[in-house]
Amino acid sequence: PSHSKSKRTSGFDMAPPSANLLSSAPMQDQLPGVPQPLPGISQSM
Amino acid sequence: CSRLHTKPSISPTLLLSNMYQRPDMITPGVDPQGQPLDPRKIQQHFEDFYEDLFEELSKYGEIESLNICDNLADHMVGNVYVQFREEEHASEALRNLSGRFYAGRPIIVDFSPVTDFREATCR
Repeated sequence: PSHSKSKRTSGFDMAPPSANLLSSAPMQDQLPGVPQPLPGISQSM
Repeated sequence: CSRLHTKPSISPTLLLSNMYQRPDMITPGVDPQGQPLDPRKIQQHFEDFYEDLFEELSKYGEIESLNICDNLADHMVGNVYVQFREEEHASEALRNLSGRFYAGRPIIVDFSPVTDFREATCR
């Protein structure tokens, strides 16, 4: 039997999606809000 | 269960908690969308998981045994036990796997006291 499938990508280092894992609703049309860096403000610890 | 489940500070065996998730984990033979699953698909899914793990774990040393619980009960579900030949290899793997993800879920890895899997059944 031919088992010549191409190598799957390993599940290792597959990070969780940023969307809530519990919601299975398709959200393809939604653009994630990209937080803008605030110019001129540096955070000091 | 009357066993002491202590976590040793060093062991050739690692426990990866709740790592394997059957595609039909909610209802046996049925996927989460309610569609019937081909048993061959379930087997393939398991084999892919085993292959991923074996490949990754082999990087850290020679593997003595690799056990994956694919039971559906709550107890030990999805637990993976990997026994290395050498304790150092196990601790190397532990260091490397900690904080990483597998298939979108965090990897929970600890040393396990189990060294003989014939004796390890916990009932």
